[in-house]
Amino acid sequence: MPIRNILVALAGSSASFITFKYALYISKLLNAKLFAIYVIDEKILIDLLKAKVFVQKEVEEYKTDSENQGNSFLERVKNISQQKGVDCKTILLKGSVHDEILNFAEKESIDLIIIGELKELFSRKDIFYQPEERILRDAKCPVVIVKNQDLVERLFKEI
Amino acid sequence: MKISDYLKEEFCIMELKSKTKEDAIREIVEVLNKSGKIKDIDKFMKDILDRESLGSTGIGHNVALPHARTEAVGEFLIGFGKSIKGIDFKSLDGEPVNLIFLMGTNPNDLNLYLRMLAELSKCLMENSFRKSLFAANSPKEIINIFKTFEGL
Repeated sequence: MPIRNILVALAGSSASFITFKYALYISKLLNAKLFAIYVIDEKILIDLLKAKVFVQKEVEEYKTDSENQGNSFLERVKNISQQKGVDCKTILLKGSVHDEILNFAEKESIDLIIIGELKELFSRKDIFYQPEERILRDAKCPVVIVKNQDLVERLFKEI
Repeated sequence: MKISDYLKEEFCIMELKSKTKEDAIREIVEVLNKSGKIKDIDKFMKDILDRESLGSTGIGHNVALPHARTEAVGEFLIGFGKSIKGIDFKSLDGEPVNLIFLMGTNPNDLNLYLRMLAELSKCLMENSFRKSLFAANSPKEIINIFKTFEGL
C-alpha cells in the first residue's frame, strides 16, 4: 500500500526543524501529502493550575505565547515546504499532545507518523507519560523517530 | 534535562536567615546571581514579586515555588532555600513555608520551563520527598534526593 499521508509532530524547538526536514525529504521522495502538526500542550498548563503553581492570568499568557510561537514556527515550515515543492498542510492543535496527534492520524488516514528524538527522561516514570513514548506505543500506523542531524541536513540538500 | 542538572549545590541555602517572604526571595536570588545567568537582578526580583502579587506561590504542604519568566535572566535557573522555623508566605493552606524553590527563565525557554515547573510540583506532592528535603543537612543531600527520585 503506498504511503500517501505523512504526519510530522513538531514542538517548536531547533530539533523540531530537523524532524521537519526529514519529513519533507520523505514526503518529496514518496510524493506524499505532509501534515505538519504543532500541538500546544494545554494539559501541562491545566496541571500547573490545579497544583496552584500557576494562576489563571499566567495560564492565559502562556497560551497566547505558545500560540504565537506555534503559528510563527508553522509559517516558517510552510515557506520551506513551498520552496521545496512539497504539498504541506500546517495545523495548530491544542490539548494533550499524544491524544491530539493520534486522533488526527486516525481521522486523516495517516500512513506514517514522524516524530523527533525522544527527550531525555526526568525520571523513569516519564517513560509512561512522555507524548513521544505514548505515540510510539499507541499509534496504529508505522512511526519513524528522526536521528542524526548531519544525515538529515545532507538529505535535505538533495531535494 | 533533569532538575538535578540545573540545581547546583552552590544554589542551595540550608538555613535561610530571612524571616519574611520578600527577604527570603531576595536571599535566594542573590545566591543565584553567582550563576552569571541573571542579567538584571533588580528586575528579576521585581518580576518575582509581581508574580507573587497575583497570588501566593505558597502551594501548601510548607512549600513555595516563586517564579518568573523574564528578560532579566538569560536562561533557566533554579535555587533552593530552607527555613527551619518557617516563613509566612500567605500560602493557600495558611501554613508557614519551610521549603522554597525559586525559578526563573528567559521568555524564549517556554517548553523547558513548563516541564521543570511541572516536574518539580509533581515531586513536591510526595510526602516522603518533602520529608527528605526537610531532613537533609547539606546541599549535596538535596541534589542526591532529586537524583534518587529521578532514578525511580
